[in-house]
Amino acid sequence: MKRIEVRLSVTVVAPLLDVIRELAEGLRTELAAPQQLEQLDVELRDAWQDDLLESQNADLKTLLDLFNEEFFREGAIVLDEDNTDHVIRACAAVRLALRSNHLQTIDEESMESGNVDIEELPEATRKTFVCYLFLATMQELIIQHLEQSSP
Amino acid sequence: MTLVWAKTQTTPEAETLTELQLEGIWHVIVLNDPVNLMSYVVMVFKKVFGFDEVTARKHMMEVHEQGRSVVWSGLREKAEAYAHTLQQWHLTAVLEPDETH
Repeated sequence: MKRIEVRLSVTVVAPLLDVIRELAEGLRTELAAPQQLEQLDVELRDAWQDDLLESQNADLKTLLDLFNEEFFREGAIVLDEDNTDHVIRACAAVRLALRSNHLQTIDEESMESGNVDIEELPEATRKTFVCYLFLATMQELIIQHLEQSSP
Repeated sequence: MTLVWAKTQTTPEAETLTELQLEGIWHVIVLNDPVNLMSYVVMVFKKVFGFDEVTARKHMMEVHEQGRSVVWSGLREKAEAYAHTLQQWHLTAVLEPDETH
């Protein structure tokens, strides 16, 4: 995948970073997608869980590191071969956490179809839903670039 | 891990057969969730299993429409590795033994 620079509106994205940071904090010790691990030996289960958490934290750190001084100065983030897997996974983790922590009031069908009228949402939910959409857009952008760069 | 190796002098093919007889076949199943994008799930299947676009889409649609899809079957140790990788990508993946054998 080629290195891509994405220009974002600092005014729009900066408030969303507060939401992402808060969720990332909660995800330090909790998996975004709780897994059913009954089939595993107890010893393996703990190691398995720890490994998933470690990977999740590394992904979230990479995502948050994108929004560095350069982003706040010029609104630019850089995606490349080294960070895309981490970033796209971190977006998935935060979206899952947003859904379970803040967007429970939206029914499953609307969540899947994306058919949600933002104006109808309560003020508090609006920001988290915009964050949810922003992260989905980041994922779509990366997927498109991956598809274009694959042979 | 619970893989049991047969301690006999055999060919690799025979060893694999013995393993399957001892351990049985395990399925890696992906369950639906209302959050992950369809395009994301397709991308993960392509990355993790090396599926082509058509196969990846077929499994994604099964997950979406039927709530689950068996994405891989085989030895337990490898099934565990696949389930772990899918979970790293935040898909809900479970392991199930094949009860038909």
